[in-house]
Amino acid sequence: MVQSLQPHSGSWFQGFLIVLSGVLILLFCLVFGGLILWPDPQALIRALTSEEILFAIKLSLFTAIISTLLCAAVALPVAYALSRYTFPTSRFMGLIISLPLSLPPLVAGIALLIFFGPSIFGDMLRLIGIDIVYTTTAIIVAQFFVNVPYLIRVMRSAFDSVHPRYEHVARTLGASEPAVFFQVSLPMSRQALLAGLTITWSKAMGEFGAVLMIAGATRMKTETLPIALFLNLSTGDLDLAIASATILLAISVGTLLIFEHWFGSRRMI
Amino acid sequence: MPLKIQGLSKSLGEFHLRDVNLEICDSEYFIILGPSGAGKSILLETIAGIHRPDSGRIILDGADITDRPARLRNIGMVYQDYMLFPHLTIEKNIGFGLKQLGRPASEIKEATGEMASLLGISHLLSRSPDTLSGGEQQRVAIARALIIKPRILLLDEPLSALDAITRRKMRSELARIPSLTGVSVIHITHHAEDLISLGHRSAVMDEGTIVQVGDPDEIFKNPQTPFVAAFTGMENLFTGIARESNEGKIIRVGSVKIHTITRYNGPVHCGIRSEDLIFSREPLKSSARNVLKATVIKIRLMGSLAWVVVDCGICLTGVLTIRSMYDLKIDEGDTVFITFKASAVMVFPNGQNKE
Repeated sequence: MVQSLQPHSGSWFQGFLIVLSGVLILLFCLVFGGLILWPDPQALIRALTSEEILFAIKLSLFTAIISTLLCAAVALPVAYALSRYTFPTSRFMGLIISLPLSLPPLVAGIALLIFFGPSIFGDMLRLIGIDIVYTTTAIIVAQFFVNVPYLIRVMRSAFDSVHPRYEHVARTLGASEPAVFFQVSLPMSRQALLAGLTITWSKAMGEFGAVLMIAGATRMKTETLPIALFLNLSTGDLDLAIASATILLAISVGTLLIFEHWFGSRRMI
Repeated sequence: MPLKIQGLSKSLGEFHLRDVNLEICDSEYFIILGPSGAGKSILLETIAGIHRPDSGRIILDGADITDRPARLRNIGMVYQDYMLFPHLTIEKNIGFGLKQLGRPASEIKEATGEMASLLGISHLLSRSPDTLSGGEQQRVAIARALIIKPRILLLDEPLSALDAITRRKMRSELARIPSLTGVSVIHITHHAEDLISLGHRSAVMDEGTIVQVGDPDEIFKNPQTPFVAAFTGMENLFTGIARESNEGKIIRVGSVKIHTITRYNGPVHCGIRSEDLIFSREPLKSSARNVLKATVIKIRLMGSLAWVVVDCGICLTGVLTIRSMYDLKIDEGDTVFITFKASAVMVFPNGQNKE
């Protein structure tokens, strides 16, 4: 198609751009393929089935699923409110909620650590017997905190694209406000929700910086897959590090495929 | 009188309603005609309860429903682009209102089937909205609104998105709705033809206010403002000064004197319908008071009619059949005489004149 539009003059330029893209793709394949092919396959399988990696898989799955569900529970109503209602602070609230998007997770992590640790709020929590720093709960808190703005973003733009007239019609047909949300707005945003949840879950599986800060890196305790990668790399146990990396890579590829399947060529983010 | 709208005002972004007063009768097909941006959609949405009016009251069957939420008003709404729920089948779309009332599934199915056969869409029930043509979607949207047995059905530009043939067909189907179901219909449109073929009574709306209410013939024959005249297709509209003279009442428009019958003096708007202009090659001897010598500037052929623009100091557009145009041998550049009665000149006050 493009070629038929520009039959002659653009051809060397086109060729150059396409070759450049090809080189980049090749580089990607070499880098990631090299990672998986580096260890001896049997060592990789042994590492994948080792107690430590299995623990990390289970912990990552568990925390990521819980934090994704929490994200959904919070992001859906908040995104709907920001999309549908204009109230005095709605613009400001939108900004504040988006702040963690541009913030390095490490910064979010240390902020959380101070908040739940030595701050007054942390003291109060400890008084009633809740101390989450360096626990599994802390992992979930970190994942939630870093990921919820993304899901709010995705859902807000999904709700924005549902024409309010659908909701108006539903209301004239006798639907209450919750009924409008659950029977019209939410089902009409189902695709975005599924894609958003997939991405949130995948990001939670790979969350490192914030988790490291508030949950620490304790072997077989707060050892998620990225933490396992970090711990084993620092102790020189390359097989285990690569095993965690391989799993994270597989999750990324899977997420990408699911995302492409649901959204096709439509780009949301 | 099921619906009374009293002094309704609402500002929403750049759209405004200003002091709208209307009364809709039982089983009436009421048309509100106005250009885009006149505030027609806001009026419908305010009646439906989507927007809360800034002031004014809405009375339905004697009860003040101004503060009643949309879902309890029993007023159905169909938008121009139908707004069928894309995630539901046609059957589920039509049954949506009954589901909200918590009716049992069997009852919903039965009622949906009946409504579908009434509108001739039974064969579509299991389909998804995006597979339907515009006319089919229109019928589904109407079925969905009618199934809750509303007192009032609001139609927002229901014919604009349809092709010419479907539009004609839908127009006659829409006209049957009041007699078929007893519902009163308020239909908003910017097509003057809808007014002729559908309305029992109509209102013309401009810039958020109702400028004229009456039956369609009345609106066409006797527009109350230049806007209504222009909107209902009056081609020749001028501004001039009306005064008494020894030849009777005349309006001076530039260098042209137009004889007329009016009680107004001073600056006025006046209009002459194209079909009231009589063309001749020689000055006509008749009772008509206005005879003007003119030059033909332009001839536009449309079907069996010819629209002829002439210059007689002011530009007038007249219409005659192609047959009479050939009989009179009228061509561009020719000199012709234009004759029209003093009573054919409609005069509208422009606000600052005295009677």
